[in-house]
Amino acid sequence: MAEEVVFVPVRRLGELIRERRLSPVTLAETFLDRLERLGPRYNAVVTVTRARALEQARRAEAEIAAGGYRGPLHGIPYGAKDLLATSGGIPTTWGAAPFKDRVFDFDATAIVKLEAAGAVLCAKLAMVELAGGMGYRQPNAAFTGPGVNPWSRDAWSGGSSSGSGSAVAAGLVPFAIGSETWGSILSPAGNCGVAGLRPTYGRVSRHGAMALCWTLDKLGPLALTADDCGLVLEAIAGRDPADPTTVDRPFRHEPTGPAGRRFRFGVLRGATDGCEEAVRENFERSLGVLREIGTVEEVTLPDLPYDDITRTILFAEAASAFEDLIESGAIRGLTAPEDRYTAYARDAILAKDYLKALRLRRVMAREADRVLAPLHALVAPGRPSEAVLLAGEVRSAIRGSARDVMGAVGNGAGLPAVAVPNGLGARGLPTSLQFMGRAWEEPTVLAAACAYQSRTDWHERHPSDLT
Amino acid sequence: MSEPETIRAPEAIRPEVETMLALVRERYGSRLSADELAGVRTAIEGIVQAAHALRAVRLSNADEPGQPFAAYRADP
Repeated sequence: MAEEVVFVPVRRLGELIRERRLSPVTLAETFLDRLERLGPRYNAVVTVTRARALEQARRAEAEIAAGGYRGPLHGIPYGAKDLLATSGGIPTTWGAAPFKDRVFDFDATAIVKLEAAGAVLCAKLAMVELAGGMGYRQPNAAFTGPGVNPWSRDAWSGGSSSGSGSAVAAGLVPFAIGSETWGSILSPAGNCGVAGLRPTYGRVSRHGAMALCWTLDKLGPLALTADDCGLVLEAIAGRDPADPTTVDRPFRHEPTGPAGRRFRFGVLRGATDGCEEAVRENFERSLGVLREIGTVEEVTLPDLPYDDITRTILFAEAASAFEDLIESGAIRGLTAPEDRYTAYARDAILAKDYLKALRLRRVMAREADRVLAPLHALVAPGRPSEAVLLAGEVRSAIRGSARDVMGAVGNGAGLPAVAVPNGLGARGLPTSLQFMGRAWEEPTVLAAACAYQSRTDWHERHPSDLT
Repeated sequence: MSEPETIRAPEAIRPEVETMLALVRERYGSRLSADELAGVRTAIEGIVQAAHALRAVRLSNADEPGQPFAAYRADP
């Protein structure tokens, strides 16, 4: 049985567990073994939490045997980006050498909620140091080494939730939790050929998560399918008194929706400008699939400095969040040479300009909502290129020659988006398609992504050489 | 996510870049090499260019930031 459960979606694993045809303990042992055996190959893992996992798995097995089935995550193994606090002596490193031995005495709310759902924490997963907040420009920006892509070991898996992306893609865990401030869920999902969901800002509690930017940080799942992302979001969403930005809005994942549902999709003018040719071709082919389930129309946003708005907020808040680390000079201990000094430049951000960015953010959010209101989702390539080479410049992979308007608007306005694989590029690495919706419209973007995945099989293709 | 990309500062923003770089040099110069200072300068150029783009958009007095602040009172 052992390897037969690898690359089986969470929904199916849950059914097998509920029917008592699959043992949570056996399942945990399978993925723990893979994490220990294959994790180092991809620099995907910081800590394998074997003792905690087996304790949780045994508890799940006993509860289910006694008729106490909790739901679709009961007994399902997972990994958490190593910026989520965990108790029990498990380190929480933020991917940064200065914190590699740091231990918290509490669990982040997302960890608590997943435990309540019966999920089994098997690993703390590698990440770019400080979630990339210090300005890294190349993949080797974590004390665990550069995130290695399971599709090609000379390519990057990040970032910054690099381990969350590669662990799901390599079949080391059925799902993972990542975080996104700007691109850190959608990028590793796209680079690694898995699904990644960036929830609406305020949907998931950030309590116990490393703060990079208080008004931009979001936590969300990476999994084999958009459907699985919805299952995980159900477990971690909700109001949390410990995070005052969370709101009490119900979320219910309904992957299929009404039979024959038709969608109205929008594409921003210039959405593929600066994209690699294969990315453009795969996106055009994806639009053909989307026209089978709805309509596609070109839309425009007014001319505003979107990248500048979100970037200014990000840099200013990150400089404040890590003031101690920067002022003390402790950033010297970071791995990437550029992370050791670039943040000093952020003293050049004037308070008035930060506030201007915050004021413009409201304009941006209003305009984005105006464009999105008649649509079910905006669609675009998830990334402008295939994953960058490990020896390459991350900046070229993240920005290429294209501006990231979707990322700037989506993150600056706190909008939900899901990325799913939509093809392979010239080097045989995955490309992706993103669906972005109005605030709190995760059910809609997930339903659209599920409809797309029901008509394609890119999510059923996996890297070779995984034994 | 990355620092803004610039090759060199346009003349229009050079005085502001030099002023900000002087501030950084004053605060942290003792711990920065010449190469690192050059990297800081590049990053400052991007920050100043972004600031100019933000300043170029006119807003009204009523356009306020999103408000996370709320008056606080401990229970009861």
